[in-house]
Amino acid sequence: MTGKLYEMTANLGGFVTGIFAAALSLFSIAMRTFRGVFRFRGRAQGEVLKQMYLIGNRSLIFVTVTLGALGMVLVFQVCLQINKITGDQSQVGPEFIKGMIHAFVPILTAMMLATRVGAGIAAETGSMVVTEQIDALRMTGVDPVDFILVPRFIASVVMTFVLGVYAMVIVIVAGAFMAHSSFGVNYNVFFVFDKVTGGDLFIGSLKLIVHGGAIPIVAGYCGLTTGRGSEGVGNATTRAVINSSLAVIIIDFIISGVGLLTVQKI
Amino acid sequence: MSIIFKDVHRYFGSKKVLTGVNMSVQPGEKLFVIGTSGVGKSVTIKHIIGLLKPTSGEVSVDGVRVDKVSEKELFTIRRKVAMVFQASALFDSLSLLENVMLPIRKHLKLKDAEVRKKAMALLDEVGMLKHAGLYPSEIGDGMRKRVAIARALSLDPAYVLFDEPTTGLDPVSARRVDSLISQLATERNAGCIIVSHDLVSIFSTATKIAMVYKGIIYKEGPIEDFHSSTDPVIRQFLSGSSSGPMETPGF
Repeated sequence: MTGKLYEMTANLGGFVTGIFAAALSLFSIAMRTFRGVFRFRGRAQGEVLKQMYLIGNRSLIFVTVTLGALGMVLVFQVCLQINKITGDQSQVGPEFIKGMIHAFVPILTAMMLATRVGAGIAAETGSMVVTEQIDALRMTGVDPVDFILVPRFIASVVMTFVLGVYAMVIVIVAGAFMAHSSFGVNYNVFFVFDKVTGGDLFIGSLKLIVHGGAIPIVAGYCGLTTGRGSEGVGNATTRAVINSSLAVIIIDFIISGVGLLTVQKI
Repeated sequence: MSIIFKDVHRYFGSKKVLTGVNMSVQPGEKLFVIGTSGVGKSVTIKHIIGLLKPTSGEVSVDGVRVDKVSEKELFTIRRKVAMVFQASALFDSLSLLENVMLPIRKHLKLKDAEVRKKAMALLDEVGMLKHAGLYPSEIGDGMRKRVAIARALSLDPAYVLFDEPTTGLDPVSARRVDSLISQLATERNAGCIIVSHDLVSIFSTATKIAMVYKGIIYKEGPIEDFHSSTDPVIRQFLSGSSSGPMETPGF
């Protein structure tokens, strides 16, 4: 009985220590990434642009199709319900646009990038761990965070913002098209931006930037802590998708809360 | 001026890999670390550059305790001691030239043209200059190994570690890597530590051999001592016989 209790206590202690160590390691990677943004020596030439292409251009179709479809479905459902109650569709467009800008588009864009970009970063970094390229970097005195994560961090912050803005256009246009074609809502009635405040724009932009930064840091942490062999890389990739999605949700929740209490109007 | 191991122990959880390693290497020496697979040869050499820390014991490079310094301070040692990894570990996203340029650009205060010139000279030294623009995925194992050697030499190290440099290479490429190692030791007076199972390499290149067995340096000495040894474990390893007293992990 005492032995079992001892084992349980030891396991619990190990679990808590493990979480604490992981949090410290993640914090260290984040700090090194932030510092690395301002350090140019040793950074591979053109790497940031290459990553911007991979993160941005390669996600365009994915974002267009997913958010376009989502915009249409959302507007369709809202119009359908309103038709059952009052039939007045005049507020659908303005409220939809406001909601998309400060809430839905930032989190949806970031979630999509967390799966596509996060998995890619973790798989690439994990493979570098397994093939000793990370050790080789340490041998040459180059911080793996500087070499791998910093270009991806910069590219991800910029391209998540750009893709987010693009996604807002797509989702609003797709929504307007659905409202007009299925429920006869006039485009002039739908495209009313009066309800969008500076606070909405600020919170939407802030979310896109912070989510864009969180994805490569969390995914990079998962990649750099890869276990042995191809199984380790697979696990790291799965962890990257789950953890970066979770990070996006938590960060989104916090920013939304702070935004509603400060700069936004409900 | 030497690399010294003093009673180095290294455990991974409950697994005791090294249980008291003692050995030394001088500049210009070519020490081959031999032993069966999984016995701890690569683990041993990774202690020299701080990629692994000993559980107990001392590892020093030219009088500096590697096991005591921080990751940042380790770079002074890593400039002195370069390593050629088993799978070459070239950076996939960079061309061969950029692979060699990376440490030079990072650590030597040279203009870009000078960095390029030095990297190209190193690639020329290993016979890879005409392939400088290619990427690691576009070349064979032997060529990758040569580029890895060029990269290892980029900061003019005093010692170079090789982790199974001829494994997976055809005999011709393997002998070319051997002659590069010999050239390094004679022309640059670099101390070379080579982890290998390749008996042809060992007997054509080594000036000294250290055999790792059961977690310790079972025997260390000049090549002649191994040739003339009557120890059944050494005889079995050198003859490659499956029957004998030698214990091999996993068998």
